[in-house]
Amino acid sequence: MHFQVADQIDAFRAEVRDFLRKNLPADLAMKFQKMRAAPADLLRWQRILNANGWGAPYWPKAHGGTGWTVQERLVFDEECSIAGAPSPDIFAHKLIGPALNHFGTPEQKARHAGGIIRGDSLWCQGFSEPGSGSDLASLRTAAVLQDDHYVVNGQKIWTSYAHQSDWIFMLVRTDPTVKKQAGITMLLADMKSPGITVRPILSIDGRHHLNEVFIEDLRIPVSNRVGEEGDGWKITKFLLNNEHASAAELHVLQGYLRRLKQLATEWGTGTEPLIARPNFALQLARFEAEVNAIAMMVSRVAAMEQAGNLSPEAHALGCMLKVRATELQQSMSLFLVESSGDCGAIAYPTDHGTPPKLAYPFQEVVGGIASEAFFRRASTIYGGSSEVQRGIASSLLFQF
Amino acid sequence: MDFNLNSEQQMLQDSVRRFVENAYTFEARTALLETGQGGSAVNWRSFAENGWLGAAVPEPCGGFGGTVLETALIAHEFGRGLVIEPYLGCAVLAAQTLVASESSGVRQQLLPGLVDGTIRCAVAYSESGSCGMPLPVALRANRTSDGYVLNGSKSLVLGGRDAEWFIVSGVVANQANPADITLFLVNAEAPGLSRQALPLHDGSWAAEVVLENVFVPTDMVLGQPGQGMPALRHGLMHATVALCSELVGAMERAIEITADYLKLRKQFGVAIGSFQALQHRMADMAAELELSRSMLFALLAAIEGTDAAHKERMVSQAKTLISRAAKKVCGQAIQLHGGIGVTEECSVGHYFKRAVVGDVLLGSADRHEAHSAVQLQSELQGLGR
Repeated sequence: MHFQVADQIDAFRAEVRDFLRKNLPADLAMKFQKMRAAPADLLRWQRILNANGWGAPYWPKAHGGTGWTVQERLVFDEECSIAGAPSPDIFAHKLIGPALNHFGTPEQKARHAGGIIRGDSLWCQGFSEPGSGSDLASLRTAAVLQDDHYVVNGQKIWTSYAHQSDWIFMLVRTDPTVKKQAGITMLLADMKSPGITVRPILSIDGRHHLNEVFIEDLRIPVSNRVGEEGDGWKITKFLLNNEHASAAELHVLQGYLRRLKQLATEWGTGTEPLIARPNFALQLARFEAEVNAIAMMVSRVAAMEQAGNLSPEAHALGCMLKVRATELQQSMSLFLVESSGDCGAIAYPTDHGTPPKLAYPFQEVVGGIASEAFFRRASTIYGGSSEVQRGIASSLLFQF
Repeated sequence: MDFNLNSEQQMLQDSVRRFVENAYTFEARTALLETGQGGSAVNWRSFAENGWLGAAVPEPCGGFGGTVLETALIAHEFGRGLVIEPYLGCAVLAAQTLVASESSGVRQQLLPGLVDGTIRCAVAYSESGSCGMPLPVALRANRTSDGYVLNGSKSLVLGGRDAEWFIVSGVVANQANPADITLFLVNAEAPGLSRQALPLHDGSWAAEVVLENVFVPTDMVLGQPGQGMPALRHGLMHATVALCSELVGAMERAIEITADYLKLRKQFGVAIGSFQALQHRMADMAAELELSRSMLFALLAAIEGTDAAHKERMVSQAKTLISRAAKKVCGQAIQLHGGIGVTEECSVGHYFKRAVVGDVLLGSADRHEAHSAVQLQSELQGLGR
């Protein structure tokens, strides 16, 4: 056991930082990342990364990726976040891409995995349904094989960025007669196909990223099936158990800490900066300590992932990390609102409605903070709710 | 970074765990508490024979040349067994304060005795005004022609019950900066020194030490007058690692004991571990433990680095986060046991008591958090100007 950070990690960080300084266009850089960048910007940034050989930062070399270690990927995410680079299309890079690399046909790999690297298309994930949230395996969207096509009918919900995506990967039920996990298959569909209707769901953060996707007599060629019929659950487990270190979104917590430290001196009441208030300083100290602890917990989980450790303890540690990191996201983003003083109550303009003629006070300083805090209520729900994570951790650790 | 123990570290952990499992069963520990002796001489000798008292003491000083990591491994196992001997006060805080003090004849004589267990030394630094933090120091030292005369009192001296020597922090009268403390080595038999042994909730002992016109010859100053703080900080840093690691071990064991009980105890015709409310509580306790373990690693990582301010900050952050977590986790261990949990016969209550004492020692969570906050204020406001 030792805690020295390897020299190569420091060198790698310097390399990423240097690349970002030279290649991140000023109009793409956002100081405080709120939402995903617009589709055209996202794809433009993807092509810039690809031109540098970094088109698939999270994939092994054998699949056209950078081959970076889990630790290097975290450094990449952190540096991109600090520089304000667009956050990647995680559905493409962390979900369907790895699934295709592992289970896809050569044609699927060339077209879709390759397309992700080249910056051809954006992806969304059709997993949840109105009746299937935490109990995902109960999903009912049905696919019936007719000759060389599946005919799909059903509904998906909470589909992030469906309205901006070119393709969807979805779980469907191909066999209603077997155990519920065994009858599930993964299919790919072009979002422009007839039979797909996307309807927005406006969320409490005042933004539009969630959608309902209605599917009616959608025809999907068999060649767009990932793996075999009935493999859907296996592929899903492969994807969701793979990403505990990055699911903590450490760079988000580090971003909040930077923002709080910035407000600490630049913002305040009357003549005093916020940091002069003992209660603020105490709370900031508490958050800094917890972010440091979470960062080390991320390093522990990353080391286990890098070593291919699939033990129950490793999996449970990932679940506990997700619970604690997302709870911290909520409390820190809420503290940012509290630290905004009277401006914390103002509903600054977002995606909904028309912007005011005259900007509201201090919009450029604290606008977006409350939206972020409202968005973070979803962190403890998506990717396996905190309650599901607690259940998994407890059963893995204690076998009650 | 490598989170796996190497073979030597694994051997050390195994041997301490074996000792704890054999010599520190709950029954054996209860019998030890009843003697009211603050531990047993036999155990202390075993610690010495196994090399645990000098694990992190450099070889030239008679130790085994390990690092603070060895201390953390030993303390973790002691925490699991709620060991009451003054390992923290004597083998870590006092020994490491001596190690970091500028070499002198006195140190050369004492350290080998600390390592082989024949001499006990304790650091008398805490006062009613500092409560475990190194500052402020009210104890005054008046210079004479051939030494100093000390006046003041020290509270909660860890390992002070049986110590033959005390390292006493004081401020030399007319010192320009009262933060420039001096460390004095004082024999427990010195005229004017009195101590009162104090039992703590967890069965360990400390002492209050009062010094009334105690004469200390010049050659018993550790290092240079007015320059004792770095050595004391070094000692406290190692001691904080040990205490935090002990509390992590205590949480880990309290969770294991509770998990076993939830499988055994039946109500409504089923094992109570089948209830989701209790399963989720256990998951939260485990998460608290793992976050604490991560915080301890973050402190160890800082110690391996070279940034002194960062080390000091991480000492405070770790003490704050981990001692709060230990009280939370061990308190919940009682709750999940129900009525039996509040009895003397049940071990979880003793884990909770250790956590309560652990928070008070070496500066409470609140004090360390306030210290971090003040550091943040000066750092950020310094930047703003």
